[in-house]
Amino acid sequence: MTRSLLVLGAISLAALILALAIGSVNIAPSELWKVIQGEGSALHRTLLLDLRLPRTLAAFATGGLLAVAGALMQVLLRNPLADPYVLGLSGGAAVGALLAMLAGMGALLISGFAFAGAMLAMVLVFGLAHGTGSWTASRLLLTGVVVAAGWGAVITLMLAITPSYKLPGMLYWLMGDVSYARTPWPALVVLVLAILVILPLARNMNVLARGPMQAAALGVSVRPLEWTIYVLASLLTATAVTTAGSIGFVGLIVPHMLRLVLGNDQRIILPASALAGGTLLVLADTLARTVIAPEQLPVGVITALLGVPTFLYLLHRSR
Amino acid sequence: MSTLHTRDLIINVPGRTDGFPLNLSVEPGQTWGVLGPNGAGKTTLLHTLAGLLPARSGRVVLSDSPLIALKRRDIARQLGLVFQERQDSFPATVMETALIGRHPWLSPWESEQADDQIRAQQALVAMDVDHLSGRLLSTLSGGERQRVAIATLMTQNPDIWLLDEPTNHLDLHHQVKVMSLLRDQSVAGKAVFMCLHDLNLAARWCSHVLLLYPNGDACWGPADSMLKPSALEQLYNQKLVTVEADGAPVFVPVSPS
Amino acid sequence: MIKLKGLAVMLGWMLLAPPGLAAPICVVDDLEVEVCLDQPAKRIATLSPGATELAFAAGAGDKVVAVVNYSDYPEAALKLPLVGNHTRIDLEALLALKPDLVITWRTGNPPAQMEMLRALGLPMFAIEPRTFEGVSKVIEQLSTLAGTEQEGFAEAERFRKGIAEIAEQYRDAEPVPVFYQVWQTPLMTINDDHLIGKVVQLCGGVNVFGDMPRLVPRISAEVVLEADPHAIITGSVEGIEDNQLDRWKSYTGMTAVAKNNLFFVPASPISRPTPRLLEASRDICERLDVARERE
Repeated sequence: MTRSLLVLGAISLAALILALAIGSVNIAPSELWKVIQGEGSALHRTLLLDLRLPRTLAAFATGGLLAVAGALMQVLLRNPLADPYVLGLSGGAAVGALLAMLAGMGALLISGFAFAGAMLAMVLVFGLAHGTGSWTASRLLLTGVVVAAGWGAVITLMLAITPSYKLPGMLYWLMGDVSYARTPWPALVVLVLAILVILPLARNMNVLARGPMQAAALGVSVRPLEWTIYVLASLLTATAVTTAGSIGFVGLIVPHMLRLVLGNDQRIILPASALAGGTLLVLADTLARTVIAPEQLPVGVITALLGVPTFLYLLHRSR
Repeated sequence: MSTLHTRDLIINVPGRTDGFPLNLSVEPGQTWGVLGPNGAGKTTLLHTLAGLLPARSGRVVLSDSPLIALKRRDIARQLGLVFQERQDSFPATVMETALIGRHPWLSPWESEQADDQIRAQQALVAMDVDHLSGRLLSTLSGGERQRVAIATLMTQNPDIWLLDEPTNHLDLHHQVKVMSLLRDQSVAGKAVFMCLHDLNLAARWCSHVLLLYPNGDACWGPADSMLKPSALEQLYNQKLVTVEADGAPVFVPVSPS
Repeated sequence: MIKLKGLAVMLGWMLLAPPGLAAPICVVDDLEVEVCLDQPAKRIATLSPGATELAFAAGAGDKVVAVVNYSDYPEAALKLPLVGNHTRIDLEALLALKPDLVITWRTGNPPAQMEMLRALGLPMFAIEPRTFEGVSKVIEQLSTLAGTEQEGFAEAERFRKGIAEIAEQYRDAEPVPVFYQVWQTPLMTINDDHLIGKVVQLCGGVNVFGDMPRLVPRISAEVVLEADPHAIITGSVEGIEDNQLDRWKSYTGMTAVAKNNLFFVPASPISRPTPRLLEASRDICERLDVARERE
């Protein structure tokens, strides 16, 4: 149990070091070490400390946030195909961010609007789903899907009316781009705090996965737990999307892959998702910025290209 | 030892007028059988007793505390329920499923200990499913899954056992085994309260019987005073013939001719 | 005693010190930011194809060390190291080339990346000329920053004179209603604030969409039919006719179509705010002359 987490931890560390070493300018590990110690050339110092380190940490945090949010959504909706965006959170964030871009606001305000948009989406879906009486997982899912479609329409409208020169920026935001992250610290802090809050609830989630009635019969306060999961998942997703735009696949595939390999115990899956999601995104981002350098690819393309075959392979092996 | 009482309990069956108020006393050592045709509200009653559904009026009292005043975890330590239908959206092994019965006894930071594992193992053995311990639940037959569900309840080990048609899907051998195990549990001091669709099981194994009529009427009491042919014929709207076998009455439906 | 000695030492140093550094070179860019360099730029990065051309026009071509995609003019620019696309820069590659001046496109480069470069202390000069005089001014500014004033100012003056000549030539020309098609799907054009719009005006053309509030409006075919321009012009590769204006051919009622005034000009000179606008203007003016003959 803890062994798999240690292995994942080691892999994460290796991925981080790889990401710091590779780029348009490759930095040998010995050079890395020099920079950490406070020496090394000025160019290497700038590249590493001002560009690559914040970007890599942001990628790790974002990947971790999305994977954990995905795992939580899958428990909440009792559906292994749920992802963090299914309830329209990324749509709300996108509308917020694009509005800010349309109005010509700076990066800080764009992030602020994105976060506000995601929170609005969370409250909206919750309010609508709660509507008339009973609040079931399927009702939540249906409401979320419809609201997400609504956001999609608004986004399409905004893309249609925006002046041409603003389009590339908006499209890159929608595709997801870790290079936007100005600082990785909010995302990292949220990730760590979230894991600390979630771990004591993990066994409750195992029981909840058996069904709400069963869970209640076994002593789980189902409604409060579902609320908590919903709010947590929303916060994690909002933070991730605010940091790096809407990066797809990570939230769906990582928890799923881990379940195929490690089983269904949320006490393992949740922290493992944080590590594996972070690693995946770090590797994907490294590829995105180097594979056809100096051209830069959107990281969402790479997560799909990496994630899908890996997932299919694991699925095949688990037969 | 916990007890389960109801005070003028009227269960909420949507679309049906208020039934007869139930004043039941489920005590340790008793084995209750709830009989009634489909739609009489047997499952609704069970879920109401477990606190999963609100009653229309009246109260359920668990060991001198009204159910609504208790926290879910405290309820789960005294009362357990085997459902008629189960949801399996996420794969789990047989052992994991049984172990989940220990949940009400563990604090959030605790993990299952060795004696929790032993309890679960013993429950699986008693239910004849220990050889399937590592298998995924979804790969088992209906009867095997039923036995795992009962094993989970055993692992939870509450004082009051509620079961909704525990012999569904079970072959004859395991039907007898399960009923006999439930009887042993009540002899050991548990209170067993189950819905049965086969009245002969009630006749053979239950100490007390509750008859639930589709219109909301109800009557209850010791088994031999409740299992009168006239009452049963009215309950099931079916003519019966009574036979004696192996020390208990057996009711056989007669075809109209 | 010690104080006096210190003062003497200080005075001595001041006398002996080399004749100070030259005054810094300061120029205000199109974001109204004053950019100051201690010495003329030696390693220039240009983050748009237009900026590359302008740097060469300013005489600083041999100082350009980093360009973005599509920096294809002049030919020497094709050999320069690429640092990505103007909408997405490879920051690491850019930094590795150690530029001491970065010429950016005010609205075209991604703001987030520009902020990052600014935070790293790189001198950033934002340009976006909107008028012919603006083009001349930028060439002069860049040459000042690069220390190539002689070439740059001369080129700026050549451009000014050229434009003035054309303006004089076409001052009393018969106005021709013109529709300039920037893109086919979606259908896009420009208004009079755009440089292309100004070229059309220079040649005595009247942009039928000149008054639209947006710089690059997206319009429908209907409003084009309604406006009934006498000439339709679009940019293509080297001005060779292609299928971009085929859609209009079926509207035989349109004046431009009836008179066969569907014209193609080389796309890149007219779309960039560079001295090549002079040739582009001559091309457009010639086409409009043809249209005038056919009136």
